[in-house]
Amino acid sequence: MMETEFSGYQVQTEFFEGPLDLLLHLIRKNKMNIIEVRLSQITAEYLSYLEGKRGINPSRESEFLMTAATLIYIKSRSLLPKPENPEEESPEKQLIHTLIEYEKIQKISKMLRDMEYTELLLWRRLEMNENFVNREYELKEVSAFQLAEIFFDIVKKKEYEQFLEIPSKNYSIAKKQEEILTLLAASGYIDFSEYVSKLDSVEEIVVSFFTLLEMIKRHMLIAVQETLFGTISIFRNEASKLEN
Amino acid sequence: MDPVLPNHHLALIEALLFVSKEPVEPGRIMEYLGISDIDEFEKILSTMEKELLLDHAERGLMLKRSGGGLQLVTKPDLHEELKEFFTVKQATKLTIASLETLSIIAYRQPATLTEISLMRGVNSTGPVKNLLQKKLIKITGRKQVPGLPALYATTPEFLIYFGLNDLSELPSLEELTELFEEKEQPSLFK
Repeated sequence: MMETEFSGYQVQTEFFEGPLDLLLHLIRKNKMNIIEVRLSQITAEYLSYLEGKRGINPSRESEFLMTAATLIYIKSRSLLPKPENPEEESPEKQLIHTLIEYEKIQKISKMLRDMEYTELLLWRRLEMNENFVNREYELKEVSAFQLAEIFFDIVKKKEYEQFLEIPSKNYSIAKKQEEILTLLAASGYIDFSEYVSKLDSVEEIVVSFFTLLEMIKRHMLIAVQETLFGTISIFRNEASKLEN
Repeated sequence: MDPVLPNHHLALIEALLFVSKEPVEPGRIMEYLGISDIDEFEKILSTMEKELLLDHAERGLMLKRSGGGLQLVTKPDLHEELKEFFTVKQATKLTIASLETLSIIAYRQPATLTEISLMRGVNSTGPVKNLLQKKLIKITGRKQVPGLPALYATTPEFLIYFGLNDLSELPSLEELTELFEEKEQPSLFK
């Protein structure tokens, strides 16, 4: 990652939750009515806000830039003669619609904030946070992304282990697949971390991992995680059923 | 089982609620006490609310209905002293990003991450993760569109956290607009 300059949690001095928050702020500041707002008029202010920021962190502020692009596009359209029919959903109308919806979200958030405040004054038998932790876990299906995260963790651990030089062995996905199916037939499920940590080399881990991903993709297997950061269990997907 | 004596009801309900970590469903209590008339049960509850808990400044607890159940909680004015006594830091509140995300999920459920991010105008992976960890939302299924994105909905903990009995207690969008308009109305006619 090329985030050395921006690593860690960022505290913004003039904090806006996102481009919509900033736009609403500008509309209110200019005492405009959201339905009749001429976005082209506040485009300049929006852009000067972006310019005023020292250094733009692309991963955090791409949304601000994208909205800036939309605003400029809207402005450029407003300068051109209008052949289009008024029924058409113009980008301006779309953005205003999004803003109206976002304003509602802000109102609901404010209401929830008030409700939260009232409730935090009341103490329960168990503090809420503890209550959350002690809850039963629901089984959650895991995404390939989470699987990959765990995979890289394990590979990192393996890197520090001492390996004996063994003549390299070629692993194939087809063979691995058979091996995994036999394992599953024998024990019913595979604990992902345990399985991978038992493998001999990084090469074998990589092949096994790709085999698992391939099998999950083909709905032959199903990966389930019991807790948010817990271990992942792999099962055979009996009938490739999907939740509704 | 011996029939529960009526004059015993109030004491038993109080004890049940004292022991329980979570809100207790009124239906469960009614069944146990052999009460089928909801009015009769409500009468016991209001006795409890009024005579035992609410009317007396010398009592520290009150009856709370949230998450579809009954619970004993401390009175709000004791908050500061409880904090001092137990040396608890300020309870962590949800961030604005989390509240916005929760607002969308509460009113649109079930909603996908993409829908949430579009409505907020910002990528909302972080707040969704945070809310999942806090168990205020859960995955209820997958949307049958390419990529099968997870659908998120609120949990019973969400109701308890915000002191709601059920989702219908959330004001409708129209009510909400009125509420805020009244508040924001400048005092032109004074």
